[in-house]
Amino acid sequence: MYDIPPSTRSVVNGNCKISARKVDVYYGDNHAIKNVSADIADKTVTAFIGPSGCGKSTFLRCINRMNDTIDSAYMKGEILLDGQNIYDSSIDPVQLRARVGMVFQKPNPFPKSIYDNVAYGPKIHGMVRNKSELDDLVEQALRRGAIWDELKDRLNESGTGLSGGQQQRLCIARAVATEPEVLLMDEPCSALDPIATAQIEELIDELRQNYSVIIVTHSMQQAARVSQKTAFFHLGSLVEYNDTVQIFTNPQDSRTESYITGRIG
Amino acid sequence: MPVLWLILIIIAITTVGFLLGCSRAQRSVNGNVRALHSLPSYYGINVGIWTAIPAFVILGLWLLIQPVLIESHIQQSVQSIATGKDVTFGLIMSDIRRVADGLELAITEGGMTLDEIQSNDLDIDTLLQTLNSLGVILGTNVSNSVLKSAQEYQKLSAGGNILMSITVLATMITGLGLALVKTNKNFRARISVEYGILAILFFAASIAIMTTIGILFSLAVNTLEFFKLYSAIDFFFGLEWAPSFSGRGGSSSLGVIPLLWGTLYISVIALLVAVPIGIYAAIYLSEYATPKVRAFTKPLLEILAGIPTIVYGLFALLTVGPMLVKVFGNNTVGWMDGGTAVITAGFVMGIMLIPFVSSLSDDIINAVPQTLRDGSYGLGATQSETIQQIVLPAALPGIVGAILLAASRAVGETMIVVLGAGAAARLSLNPFEAMTAVTAKIVSQLTGDSDFASPEVLVAFALGTTLFFLTLGLNVLALYVVRKYREQYE
Repeated sequence: MYDIPPSTRSVVNGNCKISARKVDVYYGDNHAIKNVSADIADKTVTAFIGPSGCGKSTFLRCINRMNDTIDSAYMKGEILLDGQNIYDSSIDPVQLRARVGMVFQKPNPFPKSIYDNVAYGPKIHGMVRNKSELDDLVEQALRRGAIWDELKDRLNESGTGLSGGQQQRLCIARAVATEPEVLLMDEPCSALDPIATAQIEELIDELRQNYSVIIVTHSMQQAARVSQKTAFFHLGSLVEYNDTVQIFTNPQDSRTESYITGRIG
Repeated sequence: MPVLWLILIIIAITTVGFLLGCSRAQRSVNGNVRALHSLPSYYGINVGIWTAIPAFVILGLWLLIQPVLIESHIQQSVQSIATGKDVTFGLIMSDIRRVADGLELAITEGGMTLDEIQSNDLDIDTLLQTLNSLGVILGTNVSNSVLKSAQEYQKLSAGGNILMSITVLATMITGLGLALVKTNKNFRARISVEYGILAILFFAASIAIMTTIGILFSLAVNTLEFFKLYSAIDFFFGLEWAPSFSGRGGSSSLGVIPLLWGTLYISVIALLVAVPIGIYAAIYLSEYATPKVRAFTKPLLEILAGIPTIVYGLFALLTVGPMLVKVFGNNTVGWMDGGTAVITAGFVMGIMLIPFVSSLSDDIINAVPQTLRDGSYGLGATQSETIQQIVLPAALPGIVGAILLAASRAVGETMIVVLGAGAAARLSLNPFEAMTAVTAKIVSQLTGDSDFASPEVLVAFALGTTLFFLTLGLNVLALYVVRKYREQYE
């Protein structure tokens, strides 16, 4: 039903990177995530789909403990990153977020120069010893963000002056600069036009070579285009989690079928 | 006709006009309101606007202009009476005004006729007696020439008032008539009322601006008067402030530099206290405080802004001054002789300014989008790294603006200086010495028996003008900084 390039359909049998065990999340009295367990593979693009308010963004934000910044949120269960529980008291959430990068729905470049935007993460984590190393790292990150050629002569201009698509790729480059192992993307294309979206999607496919990418999206076409695994959330529960091809061609659960055929959502 | 009556008449006719407008509009469509362009009340309001506003405008202008014209007319005849000095001239003018008011009163309440008042052989004693019985005492030495001028004054203003009443009423009736004639079903009363409302709003906005211009004008007149008596170069560049009041003889040194120095020194100390504390408080309130703490702390901090400055002055005089003397006084290091000093005033003023800095900065920090913070946290930054490197730089232009506004408050502050810093104008670097500021000197030059012809008093206006431009400059700079460097967030 979707135009699926067969090459991306081959599910890499990578190691399990992240495994969630019986995760429950509450915002105050609101039970946002209900008993979700899932294994997310390395070097794979995993898409979270589902109607608004189904908890997919909340679950995403659990993986780098961004929910810690929300006072009313608390969670139960455990999430293992390379076998280690990230909610263990020995884990520093600040260090964790350098390993699990995040790209947000709305492009949010800092009101600094393009160079400083990318250099921000490496600087605060002390990843470089001198200016030339930092220069190299910034260039490498911008190349991975597929934006180096456009911006290499404008590194001192403000990041807020770029177009929406460029801003989002700058944000991806910024996240990549801290050399994360996992990249979380929360509807990264919802504020972008189709051309910028196509560029980002192409980029996501390249990023798969190095990272485990998890993308939350409202667009089922996008999920079908970029991901190898898809998880369908509904009302806080993980309804179905399988290979993308399976989800879109042969859904096992009736709710998944209703959603992908447009009957609910 | 008294002005009050005139106003009441205008209001009454306006009400009538409103009702007439409503009913005329309805009659023009035989009661079928849907055929009207606008609701009937719009036609009424339109008639009301045309009745009242031109009449009120003319009334207002007339009341402003008539006294000026009459006085300039009377002045020509007074020139012959006055000996030429400014002071006596002013006194004679106010005498004439008072006698003229008395004459007016004698007609309205004392039973005298207009002819009696205006007759050439009006007896001063009879007049005084009549007025005495009404409870008005003019004093005894009303000279004949003053009486003549007063009669002239009364005649002109009585004539003017009649003319005014006629003009205002005629304008009102014309407006009413014109508006009523235009009232028919095709007239777009809604649009017309829109313009009327625009005019009223514009008038309200312009009053604020006109008042500023008026204040500036009155300052300028007296400042120019001062510079006629005292050299501007000596004023702006003089290093000594030593006014000598005419009673004691001798000439004064009226250099503004020591006062400006005092003002700036105290303000700088105040800002050194207020800016760090204010900004840290703002950061705490906007970034760290839980909603509960914030709801409790912020109003508490803002109470500081509501304390009258005289109370801060007392705090400086009674608490902070003696406390500082204990620390820096003769018993310890011996830097400080008395409680009144630059540092006392600066410290207390700094406390006063904390809420100005913190409240504005708090709003500005809150306006930094949450997405920027998320972006920074998402890269693994801690909260204080995020604040230092992302939030504060983004909020900086606004914070600078807040600081500049606080600075212009500090420059204009009076009571804390009077009570906390002393009255000695001095050019010194020592913050433990008493100094004084421009504002405090304006007060001291204008209090007591002031002779508005001497440079020692008029200098207050020159000081006021200087201060006006200083704070104006700071405010303009603040606005400029905020506008120029403000990040545009959607």
